[in-house]
Amino acid sequence: MERPFHELRERLLRAGAAPRHVTRYMTELADHLADLRAEEELAGRSREDAKSAAMVRLGRIDDLFKAMTEQRNFQSWCARVPWATFGLAPVLILAGAWFVAVMVSLSGFNTPLTSADRFAFAMYRVRIGGLLYFGAPILINWAIGLFAARQRFRAVWPTVGLVAIALFSSTLRLRFTGFASELGGGMRFGGISIAAIPEGLLSALVILLLTALPYFIWRLHNSRSI
Amino acid sequence: MAVRESNPNFMNGVPELLILRLLKHKEMYGYEIVQAIRNRSDSVISVGEGVVYPVLHGLERDGALRSRRRPVKGRSRIYYAVTPRGLRRLVDLSIIWTNLAGAIRQILTGGKNGEAIP
Repeated sequence: MERPFHELRERLLRAGAAPRHVTRYMTELADHLADLRAEEELAGRSREDAKSAAMVRLGRIDDLFKAMTEQRNFQSWCARVPWATFGLAPVLILAGAWFVAVMVSLSGFNTPLTSADRFAFAMYRVRIGGLLYFGAPILINWAIGLFAARQRFRAVWPTVGLVAIALFSSTLRLRFTGFASELGGGMRFGGISIAAIPEGLLSALVILLLTALPYFIWRLHNSRSI
Repeated sequence: MAVRESNPNFMNGVPELLILRLLKHKEMYGYEIVQAIRNRSDSVISVGEGVVYPVLHGLERDGALRSRRRPVKGRSRIYYAVTPRGLRRLVDLSIIWTNLAGAIRQILTGGKNGEAIP
């Protein structure tokens, strides 16, 4: 498949242009190129000559690149504030996800568990909360890898984010405590504790392997494509 | 094979003025805009045609243009049109460039008190 703007696309993404702006730019350039080729062919040029002439009229890659990168508004947030998008935001999202997980887990216990049905319902909520609790770090790290890959971002900040999420999610533990009452008992949030170091690090390593490996394999593959 | 040379810098500030003026009465897509600029300037203004798109996108982002996709002859085109904010910007830019062009002409022709530059 012909990809006349592949180099331009890669350069723009590496320079920090937002992927959606780059995609639109490429689409319009491709349309424009097709119009120019048609015009040159109508003027009597051969197919190959028309293609060359159209590319010259469209502009040099350096000029097309410069025209886009001069517009600072088209920079992505990843490029503008990488420490926030890859470092701070994932940690805040993880905290938010855990808050939701706690709320969901406890929501089944906010009424007296007077019957088997109510208890089953409460446990169902706990399982959903647990899924969110364990799944959120993996999803967040996959998102970090995806954003970094789309932006052709250098590995430093994404790696910081990946490691931070893996460490936070592996070493911090949410505790729940059960209690008994005359109405049937329940469960309450018991705070956050720190996991034992060997166990926490092993868990962090597993999360990193699951989430960072696809990103670094992609980087290796992509570094050979341009 | 002879091909047209282009001016990559496309004269800072001028593209916005020309684009807003061209789109004042009629919506156009990128290729149409570039051809219109070339035709109406008798090819004096010749640009690397692709550089018009960042300018269009910038104007749209500023709210001076709006765009919409329209299917034409089996292809989807992005048409641009001027917004009220764009019209106000056109007026401002027109005044600036008219004054500037007048000042340059005055210098070149000698003006009221001077002599023309040979």
